[in-house]
Amino acid sequence: MTTTPLHHLPRLSQVVREQLRVTALSIRLPAIALAAIAAVVTMLVIADFLRGRGGVEFAPELSLIPAFAGALMPIAVWLNEQRFGAGFMWTLPVDRTRHALAKVLAGWIILIVAVTGFVIWLLILALITKGNITGDEIIRLLPASYDPNVSAVDPSTLRTIRWSFPPVLRLVPFFAATGAYILASAIALGFRHPFRWIIGTVAAVYLTAAIGQGIADDQFWALSGKLIRTLQEGRYGLDTLLSARAESLRTVVTFSNGQRITAWRGLPVVTDWIIAVLLWTGLGIGGLSAALMRHRENR
Amino acid sequence: MTALAVQTTNLSKSYDNQSALDRVDLRVPEGSVYVMVGANGAGKSTTFKILMNLERPDSGNASVFGLDTGANGPEVRAHIGYVPEHYDAGYRWMTSARLLQHAEAFYPSWDSAYADRLVKSLDIRMDRKTGGLSKGEGRRLQLVMAMSHRPPLLLLDEPTEGLDPVARRQLLTLIAEHLADSPTTIVIATHHIHEVESLADHIAALNGGRLVAQMSRDELQKNVRRYELELPENWKAPAGLVATQTRTSPDGRDAQWTIIGDERDVAERLTSSGANVREAQPLAFEEAALALLSGERAQ
Amino acid sequence: MLVTLDNRDLRPLYLQIMDEIRRAIVVGKLKPEDPLPSVRDLASELAINPRTVSQAYQELEREEVVYVKRGQGTFVSPTMKKNSRERQNLARALAKRTLIEARRSGLDLQELIASLKEAAAEERQ
Repeated sequence: MTTTPLHHLPRLSQVVREQLRVTALSIRLPAIALAAIAAVVTMLVIADFLRGRGGVEFAPELSLIPAFAGALMPIAVWLNEQRFGAGFMWTLPVDRTRHALAKVLAGWIILIVAVTGFVIWLLILALITKGNITGDEIIRLLPASYDPNVSAVDPSTLRTIRWSFPPVLRLVPFFAATGAYILASAIALGFRHPFRWIIGTVAAVYLTAAIGQGIADDQFWALSGKLIRTLQEGRYGLDTLLSARAESLRTVVTFSNGQRITAWRGLPVVTDWIIAVLLWTGLGIGGLSAALMRHRENR
Repeated sequence: MTALAVQTTNLSKSYDNQSALDRVDLRVPEGSVYVMVGANGAGKSTTFKILMNLERPDSGNASVFGLDTGANGPEVRAHIGYVPEHYDAGYRWMTSARLLQHAEAFYPSWDSAYADRLVKSLDIRMDRKTGGLSKGEGRRLQLVMAMSHRPPLLLLDEPTEGLDPVARRQLLTLIAEHLADSPTTIVIATHHIHEVESLADHIAALNGGRLVAQMSRDELQKNVRRYELELPENWKAPAGLVATQTRTSPDGRDAQWTIIGDERDVAERLTSSGANVREAQPLAFEEAALALLSGERAQ
Repeated sequence: MLVTLDNRDLRPLYLQIMDEIRRAIVVGKLKPEDPLPSVRDLASELAINPRTVSQAYQELEREEVVYVKRGQGTFVSPTMKKNSRERQNLARALAKRTLIEARRSGLDLQELIASLKEAAAEERQ
């Protein structure tokens, strides 16, 4: 017989829809747990507010939670699957690479929905506690000569400015989550034992940074240390992706009179953020493509 | 010449320098019940995995309904119902009903009425999580998933494994009915020959990855005989006989040889070597199949 | 049960089924124009390949023991009577098998006939 049209392949939209259902169902429990935690936190915040504590500001770009969620999501997506070998998923009549991509996409959709929920929750908290929701604030800028190693800072060297927060930076959590998710998905699909690689890399990075800081006069270690710091906190580094660099630019300084205030070493730059998003997402997509190559059917 | 549902040419695959398949040329006629017999590790499961494109052969190729399995993975799988040897619960948190729904989304030819009937006859609990099913129940569920979309090819790996005699009989009845209702080619891999012999109409013997022989049930019936011999003194066996079992009396005058080959041809050779053929007994299917397995030469 | 298979019988399954149908006709369990069980039903009951049942039915049709009514199934030929040649065929097949068994045990025809008569006489008592 020739193959019959009756036994044709399912449509890709059907596959994505089914993977959405399966992935959503599989994270039921963690989702409920998170909702419970959010409820508890909400009650605590309201209790604080009623006691007279100031409002909670709406600053989703400063939270590392979306990126964290993005990095952890592939675990939830692929936990019950045999990524390599003869898992049930691969016995289905869908091209292996496409099916993997459909599952990655399904996980991403759920992630974005979750991040949206998270951002809305933060907004509600700010509204309830009458906190700052526009992001516009008066901030203290540190001078260019600021040296973090000096313990006391002369207050007269700080500038006070009014910063109008670029609204586009409200999108930071979505891109942070997406970037982290794509990179983590690449690792999950690319390696049989992703955790060994992650732990190994983290250990290597940590050691290099530590040694690089200590052995400042050895070329290799000093450069490696510097490289790692740049990747982390540089202009287009990881922190730029995760918080438009707000995390690393913001710091607590101690004045010579002992007072401690929050000051900024610089301000987030929108174009820097956009470039960082493109670079890291590009890196993630490259990694994911390479990982998917490992799963291709036609060789 | 009947069309072939499955055809392999020079198919070879080894794991860690152990040969699982050694230049195997399978010919499975359409509509047949083709039984692959052989010990564990003889290469049966590997064959299935290659047909499903879950594994790639080291050399040679395989085709299903004329489609190359390596180049048309998804399309080939759309025409196959596969029940692997080991039950993999996969989504342990899904109920049986949900798992069937999941499979249904991928097969446009799914017959849900048939699935319901199968579930009833196989006595599978629909509201139980698949992780909580017994091993036998889980395998029966896999069988339902494989049969419900009425694929033209069924690959059953040790289908009677772990089934009590009642369940086994039920399974064979089910397969007989399925065969009567839908034109299907069935390939069964097993080392329990007698459990499936009432269904078989073709047999292939695999020994250590080599295809020792493959033939129809009628050919098997005709070509395997137990010869009761009266031997002269100092009798020398004729060359070129494929004898799989020989039993000689202590005085060397009587012998019982199980030989594969055309009866007239074999009898002639034996007689011209000086032996007297008292009788040429046909063998029951299982005994004949076992004789094939111990045969030395591939045909 | 119209058809029972003996798993010690070494003959091809379809031949066994044919003999069982013939036997049913001879003893009157199946009368002329009676329907045979459908291929599906018989295959299901015996848990065997339906093709084997089809083969048996086709051979029986060739020998004009049964005929096929399109869309309705297979029926016993109207020409099949209790005391027809089928009875002879059955007897001859039985005799052949017995002779082979006897020869295996080293008995010749005369010894076999004598033993048959003795056994029949015993039964009557």
